[in-house]
Amino acid sequence: MHDHQLQSILRHMPAGIATLLGPELRYGFVNEAMQMLLGGATPTGEPLAEHTGGLAADLLEVMQQVYETGRPYVAKAYPFSAPDPTDGVVAKRYFDLALEPLHDENDEPQGLLLFAVDVTGQEEARQRAHELSLETRRLDARLRVLSETAPQITFSVDTSGQYEYVSPQWYYFTGQPPTADLNAIWPLLIHPDDRLRVLYQADAARAAGVGWSFEYRMRRHDGQYRWMLSRALPELHAPDKPVFWHGAVTEVHDQRELAEALRRGEAELRFLADSIPQLIWTATAEGFIDYYNQHTGDYTGLSAQELGPTGWVALLDPTEQAAAARRWVHCVASGDAYEGLYRMRRHDGQYRWHIIRARQLADSRGLRWFGACTDVDDQHRLREVLQTQYDELARTNRDLDTFVYTASHDLKQPLFNLRGLFEELRRTATFQDSEQEQLLEMVDESLRQLDGTLQELAATVQDQRELAAPTEDLDLRSVLEEVLLGLRTQVHEAQATIDLELSAAPTLVYGRANLRSVLHNLLSNALKFTHPARPAHVQIATSLSETGQPQLTVRDNGLGMELRQDPFTSFQLFERQNPQVAGAGVGLYLVQRILDSRGGHLEVTSTVGQGTTFTVHWFE
Amino acid sequence: MNHIVYMSRAVRPLSDQDLQELLDQCRRDNALHNVTGVLFYSHGNIAQLIEGESSIIDPLYERISRDGRHSNVTQLVNKPIPSRSFPDWSMAFHPLESEGFTALGGFLLPNQVPPTPESLTIADALLVDLVRQAVFGADTPTTPSPSLA
Repeated sequence: MHDHQLQSILRHMPAGIATLLGPELRYGFVNEAMQMLLGGATPTGEPLAEHTGGLAADLLEVMQQVYETGRPYVAKAYPFSAPDPTDGVVAKRYFDLALEPLHDENDEPQGLLLFAVDVTGQEEARQRAHELSLETRRLDARLRVLSETAPQITFSVDTSGQYEYVSPQWYYFTGQPPTADLNAIWPLLIHPDDRLRVLYQADAARAAGVGWSFEYRMRRHDGQYRWMLSRALPELHAPDKPVFWHGAVTEVHDQRELAEALRRGEAELRFLADSIPQLIWTATAEGFIDYYNQHTGDYTGLSAQELGPTGWVALLDPTEQAAAARRWVHCVASGDAYEGLYRMRRHDGQYRWHIIRARQLADSRGLRWFGACTDVDDQHRLREVLQTQYDELARTNRDLDTFVYTASHDLKQPLFNLRGLFEELRRTATFQDSEQEQLLEMVDESLRQLDGTLQELAATVQDQRELAAPTEDLDLRSVLEEVLLGLRTQVHEAQATIDLELSAAPTLVYGRANLRSVLHNLLSNALKFTHPARPAHVQIATSLSETGQPQLTVRDNGLGMELRQDPFTSFQLFERQNPQVAGAGVGLYLVQRILDSRGGHLEVTSTVGQGTTFTVHWFE
Repeated sequence: MNHIVYMSRAVRPLSDQDLQELLDQCRRDNALHNVTGVLFYSHGNIAQLIEGESSIIDPLYERISRDGRHSNVTQLVNKPIPSRSFPDWSMAFHPLESEGFTALGGFLLPNQVPPTPESLTIADALLVDLVRQAVFGADTPTTPSPSLA
């Protein structure tokens, strides 16, 4: 009964128990758990070798050895394909298999006791732990590579401020040997001016259990102090229990220098803008003014706050505000430069003329507008004064012309009377002295000159009024023939030959009266100063200048003249070219005036006794 | 009586649903507090003009500037005005589906925004025209402000 109870307990044990008897290891007692493990086929008395039940050959071999040697053995975490005890799903499971030799009373080998304990849970946990440790080692290696290749120094310090770890970059940067005592050396490498602050801030952060971020100068291997950014965060082992601070030190020297230079540059530009006695301002891409310089406040008497983003428009003359605002909206939309002349109100209420200019700048920092208002009031007023004076002068000039014209006209009648009286005197009076005949001739000649001068004076004034006459396309030959027809008496008297060679520039766009006047004066000049020894020969030709502008030359074979240094002074009004020849000298002055007014000029070459050549450059 | 003009950027694009809720909420609240003005919205750009007693619109602006739906809130002007220039509060934007919106009170398509009121000074009219241009772009045909015409 006792034995029976024991058997029942063994049969239902959760561990597998079996006895294998004899050298063939025949199945003896096999409990339920072991039957399950071996797949159910465990016929009592049959040798194990014929019903292996999934036991591998190596295990059978080991069992045989244990039987023969009598030395027990435990196969740890031996894998079986076995059903799960809870859900019956067949999967790989692990068992510790104890192989215990059995002996009879005579100590002879009797068989084996097989004892299998399921250790699947432990084994899986062990394998997981193994995998985890592999993964941890991999992550650790990655972290190390990352922290040692990043261009910054990484470090860990404990609560007392002792360095636990510092990456190799620290040694590269500082040039310290690997044997250097970090805790002693590091503070010494901090710039003396920063040291106390840095040590205090780090200490305070550790005491408070918080991270830190500050900048300081650290000595590089070459002795230069470089600006560094140190940042660290605590590693908390409980919400209020920091154990380590991990952080990085990054060199920010260049950024800091750049930022400093930029700040300095901006401050200097602002100072410059504030020093300029002009209204300087900047605006956003949307067109809102965000900066007015010092002078704007001085001029307007309004603060930037009072002016606001669009208040400038209210400073303009009320009649100009709407147009200026519209133009600004348009410029902001299109990006066109803004430019205009406006009256702007000063703090005392006086409006002064300003040129307002603004241009758009687009760079990496986005779009901005830069503007300036330049006070041009003085120039503007000066121009107005000059304009008034100019108008007055022009009017005076006109009055003077009128006066000359009127005078010459009014003098004609008395002169005419004088000539009549003189003729009458000559006819009625008789003169004894033969020299008196000569005297009479001289009086007669003087009267004729006076008459000529008056006529030319009148013509000058007349022609000046026609200077601004409209231009038309003129056929040079027909105008010339018309002029020569008028001069036919002089041509006849001088027995002159006239050659025309006009093919190079047969037509000319000019004022008709002006052209006639120019031709008339030059031709009558040529016919007037003829050489007594030979018949006159006048050659008239057209040509084109290097720039393609029409030219006219009038060449005579007359007396010629002495030219002064400056050819232009030879055509002053009333200057006589040849004292021995009759003429008032107004002609060339008039030609000069006409050509000037049309943007051309007159050139002359001359050889005394051989002739004179006038070249007319109609246009420059 | 003061008016405030500000511009801002929506944190994320506002959907038709968002816009309609905003329109409903603002119209209700603004009518209650006698706040008038106009709001422009397009592609995340926001600009608004509000007018009312400063005891009302100053705290209103405070609340608006703290609203998490937009950021970069920039106040362009906050100053006294002699009188209101807007009869009520309205909102102009381009809904994806305009059908449901056209009938809504206070809703305007950007090209239907009435000209900037003449009661504004030229400087203020210029400001409103610039913010409208900044929100809707230069190409949207809008009626030019008569005070600038």
